[in-house]
Amino acid sequence: MSVAGKLEIKSVSKHYDVDQNRLQVLSGLSFDVHSGHFLSIVGASGCGKSTLLRLISGLDDDYEGDILLSGEHIYGPSLKRGIVFQDHRLLPWLTLEQNIGLSLENTGWSARAKKEAIRAQIELVGLSGFEKAYTHQLSGGMAQRAAIARALANKPEILLLDEPLGALDAITRIRLQEEMLRIWRVEGTTMILVTHDVDEAIFLSNEIVVMSSNPGRITKRFLVNLATPRDRASAEFIELKRQVLVELHLYRQQSKDAQENGIDMASLI
Amino acid sequence: MGDVSIVHTPVGKTYDTRLRDHLLALKMRLGSPIGLILPLVILLLWQTAATFQWVEPVFLPAPRKVAVAFWVMLTKQDLIFDFLASISIVGQSFIYGSTIGIGLGIAAGLSRKFEQFLGVTVDTIRHIPGIAWLPLIVLWLGIGAPAKILVIGKSVFFPLFLNTLQGIRSVEKRHIELGKVLLLSRRQMVLKVILPSAMPSIMVSLRYAAGLAWALVVVAEGLSGLEGLGFLIFRAQGLLLTDQLLVCMVVIGVVGFIIDRQMYALQARILRWQQGFKG
Repeated sequence: MSVAGKLEIKSVSKHYDVDQNRLQVLSGLSFDVHSGHFLSIVGASGCGKSTLLRLISGLDDDYEGDILLSGEHIYGPSLKRGIVFQDHRLLPWLTLEQNIGLSLENTGWSARAKKEAIRAQIELVGLSGFEKAYTHQLSGGMAQRAAIARALANKPEILLLDEPLGALDAITRIRLQEEMLRIWRVEGTTMILVTHDVDEAIFLSNEIVVMSSNPGRITKRFLVNLATPRDRASAEFIELKRQVLVELHLYRQQSKDAQENGIDMASLI
Repeated sequence: MGDVSIVHTPVGKTYDTRLRDHLLALKMRLGSPIGLILPLVILLLWQTAATFQWVEPVFLPAPRKVAVAFWVMLTKQDLIFDFLASISIVGQSFIYGSTIGIGLGIAAGLSRKFEQFLGVTVDTIRHIPGIAWLPLIVLWLGIGAPAKILVIGKSVFFPLFLNTLQGIRSVEKRHIELGKVLLLSRRQMVLKVILPSAMPSIMVSLRYAAGLAWALVVVAEGLSGLEGLGFLIFRAQGLLLTDQLLVCMVVIGVVGFIIDRQMYALQARILRWQQGFKG
């Protein structure tokens, strides 16, 4: 099991200068992700949630504020911070095991330790038997599992998930959510998930941060205290989903009123 | 020790599947029988034209006469020697031209400064055809092999240089980003990300350049020198030995075909990770 890190985001802002115009992308974001917790960020496209993940990954150092992992300022990319992108980003010319091995190149581990880590990760994500497969031989869901295995292989303190299931079909997505939950339990890594999918966020997280755009900011935080394993069809799950959707301005309040007042929708048509 | 037989069965494939793969590969290289229809029709037309003397025999000898000429050239003359002379020139030109082309292509691909440094020179020289260089180079190096190797090597160099450069420049940004996230060193980035992603482009130009080199050797030998298939073909024209001329043409075509299929097989093997590279 890896050492799970605590992530602190302190007054983080980010802007672009476009032809002397200042385009504010993120404005005064602050939150912590406790060691071993699973936090989801939901928000409409363009609210800056992926940008925030890029800042945490170290791919972009141009921002104001502080980002600390386990009490230390982050600087540039690091093997302590694993990332899974929306596209699996496996290199097509490498086999599955070579792709996973790529994240171990600079760990300084012995060849034997690397080999063992690759084997264990492939087993963890349920891809045993596909070690020598090339990317085009894997389905979308398998490729994304492989990407998760690659990101976890070097035992990062935190795993950043940038809409990792966004490109998958609904059924594969639900399967992989269950897989991710299992993997998180086994590995105990701190997780940050960026997603559009409110169900996914509730199903997986301890905490949900809702962001809105222009400029990207946090409008609400929800603690998810539902018992696990979570029942997607339970009343509590649906009530929380309603609250998050309201926060995202995606819930039509009048239809709820209609239900509560016992009006037969069919008779209105 | 009783486990020995179990130990070596899983190593690689069984003999039967290997044989099947081999035959499949051979079939792919030769193509389906449908590809043989047209050559047979042409042969038939040729035979008919010769039989009815639509063309004077001195300009179009019958296929049988050409086959005999082939046998005579093979057994009593130096066809093999000339063939080897041509192959040797093509082989050397191809190796030198492609090695330098890929090498400089990688260097220019990795360094914009180096690309700019070469830019004007390369783009100018590229537009002077290899054959236009030959007269000058023959003055310097004589009519032997080195002049031809230099000229053909130049023609191999350019497609390799340009495609390697292009392949490196079109590496996907997201793959570079992945390399950064995984903290790959410059060396690792080049070996594991940049070069493999340029490989399809390099392989395409290798195949193209191999065909080009084979075609050019005939021209170069025809223009200068005293050996090789190109020399034979022009000598046969001068002596009105049309049967020998046709022998050379067929040999050139068949060898070109074999070179191309071999290069294709090499390409398919190296790029086996590419989706859909079987059809």
